[in-house]
Amino acid sequence: MGLPQLFRTTPFRLTLLFLALFAASAAAFLAYIYLTTAGEVTRLADRGVIMETRGLEAIYQAGGDAALLRRFAESVANDRPFLYLLTDSAGHRLGGSLAAAPVSDGAGPGPVWMHFMRSSRNPPDDAGPRRWAIGETTRLSGGETLIVATDVTYAETFVLRIVRAMWGAGALVVLLGLAGGLLVSRNVNRSVARLNTVVAAVRGGDLGARAPLGGSRDEFDELGAGLNDMLDRLERSITSIRHAGDAIAHDLRSPLTRLRARLELALLDVEAGRGDPKAALAQALGDADALLATFATVLAIARLEAAGATPKQASFDPSQLAADIAELYEPACEEHGLDFKAELGSGLSVRGDRDFLAQALANLLDNAVKYTPRGGAIMLRSRRRSSGEIEFSITDTGPGVCDQDRGRIVQRFVRLENSRNQPGAGLGLSLVAAVAKAHGGRLELDEGPGKVGEFGPGLRVALVLPRAA
Amino acid sequence: MRILIIEDDAEAGAAMVRGLAEAGHETVHAADGALGLDAARLGGFDVMVVDRMMPNMDGLTAVETMRREGDQTPVLFLSALGEIEDRVTGLKAGGDDYLVKPYAFAELIARVEALSRRRETGAVATTLRVGELEMDLIGRSVHREGKAIDLQPREFQLLEFMMRHAGQSVTRTMLLEKVWNYHFDPQTNVIDVHVSRLRAKLDKGFNRPMLTTVRGAGYRLDG
Repeated sequence: MGLPQLFRTTPFRLTLLFLALFAASAAAFLAYIYLTTAGEVTRLADRGVIMETRGLEAIYQAGGDAALLRRFAESVANDRPFLYLLTDSAGHRLGGSLAAAPVSDGAGPGPVWMHFMRSSRNPPDDAGPRRWAIGETTRLSGGETLIVATDVTYAETFVLRIVRAMWGAGALVVLLGLAGGLLVSRNVNRSVARLNTVVAAVRGGDLGARAPLGGSRDEFDELGAGLNDMLDRLERSITSIRHAGDAIAHDLRSPLTRLRARLELALLDVEAGRGDPKAALAQALGDADALLATFATVLAIARLEAAGATPKQASFDPSQLAADIAELYEPACEEHGLDFKAELGSGLSVRGDRDFLAQALANLLDNAVKYTPRGGAIMLRSRRRSSGEIEFSITDTGPGVCDQDRGRIVQRFVRLENSRNQPGAGLGLSLVAAVAKAHGGRLELDEGPGKVGEFGPGLRVALVLPRAA
Repeated sequence: MRILIIEDDAEAGAAMVRGLAEAGHETVHAADGALGLDAARLGGFDVMVVDRMMPNMDGLTAVETMRREGDQTPVLFLSALGEIEDRVTGLKAGGDDYLVKPYAFAELIARVEALSRRRETGAVATTLRVGELEMDLIGRSVHREGKAIDLQPREFQLLEFMMRHAGQSVTRTMLLEKVWNYHFDPQTNVIDVHVSRLRAKLDKGFNRPMLTTVRGAGYRLDG
């Protein structure tokens, strides 16, 4: 990744923002330091110069120029930190510790910045390095001009040094900030680029692409893990849908072929003046209906399997559901000469999709009614297992299913030999299994109550749902 | 009865027009949602049959618009989307019934006729009467020619539905949906057995059967 690109990244922009904030606060901090140091120096000098000027004015009032010059000498002798210059109205130097009037950097009244050249020679002359002072120029009543100044060169040098240090510190802050920003951006970008590679690969059609995880367990790793998990699920769903699509195509082909053959034969018969077209049409209509029902069921199974979880889940009493279904099926059982009983546990609760579970129970009861011979019995039960799981079970006294076939009959379109003469497409149990799986549960098939006379051994099918969280 | 059919599939629309005409109804066919809405605005329809997915304006939008404009004509939605949520969406949009494609004509006609009747009996009645059969909805009792008939709660609901749709065919699917509130197709003849139990109680001791089986369609209660 080149630098210009780096400048456009979010982390770098954030760094710049923080840098600006930090620079602003550093500037405020340094300004405060400047004011309390350099400002203080100026303030003290100002006050000294004003006091000295007032004092000298008083001395002038009392003793004139001569008194002033005496006072200058005294001050210098006592090493007072003041510089003096007295000139007459024509500008001729009358005396003082300054050789010439310093250059004012501002206009009075009051003390202003001045600079002058000074040597330590006596009488003072203009040679020597430039020095800084704060001074006040006063016109005296006799026309003379009095300049009182205090040399602040040392203080000023110090202040200048502080200012230089501040600029240096500021530059350092900006440089370090920029460097830090680049470093952070580069790191973040590397992590994001890793994820982007995966996204690009998936967009390009490679669903198998996964983000490498660094094991640092930072938020990018977390994001990568989330992305991988999402892709896993997506891949599973797509595979499942693809399989379901293949299954639908495969399994609808034979009934469609059958339907087509029947229509073709009927047409031949009608053309030859044989047979009853009405019967053939009615049969074809029946075939078409069965085909559509099969299609709907296969689709429902595929959706359940693809979704991984049922779309809507609500808490309800499983026994109430079982009671409703029992009420629906009880007369039909009686009609088929079957003894129907329901044993429903109380105080149970389960989370799930009521409609799908109702359909699952109905499918199981359909099977029980279909395969249990007259005089047999069917028992519908709902209870909580000691594991906390909720179980719906349906036990019949039909011929049952032998061990090796039990795993098979759950598969789509599998029908056992003895069920060939019964209506159905072999999808009932597949749907029940899909409903169970979508709820995180399972389907269990066991032997029923065993062989009793001509009945049995029977089949016991349990739909087991996980305990409500 | 005047029926507005809003269906974009020309063949399906023509088949519906023919089927409903043979059942003695007058039909108007609109080929998409926007045309259907225009036709509906002219008024004068007893029932509307609306395909859910159409170009120009889908059925949901068309019906939502009609309802917003105050049109209360009963609507039967037709849709290839058969999940419970799809039904709920359809009913929320203002549909009165929902039929999943593909369907049998008998089912369509039964549901259309049931919807037209529904509007006539909109008022809150406390008793239902069909011929010599009388149902007290508050006292939960049923009499035929003054003779009390003892019914289980579900049989009562079943009879109530049949009485509200007296003189019309009601299909097994309709009963399962409206009386039991299930939306699947049992492989066992559970509904038939319930109906024959009700019939036994209703017609026992009387010469004339009130509850009859309609071949290929379902059942009918006549006064």
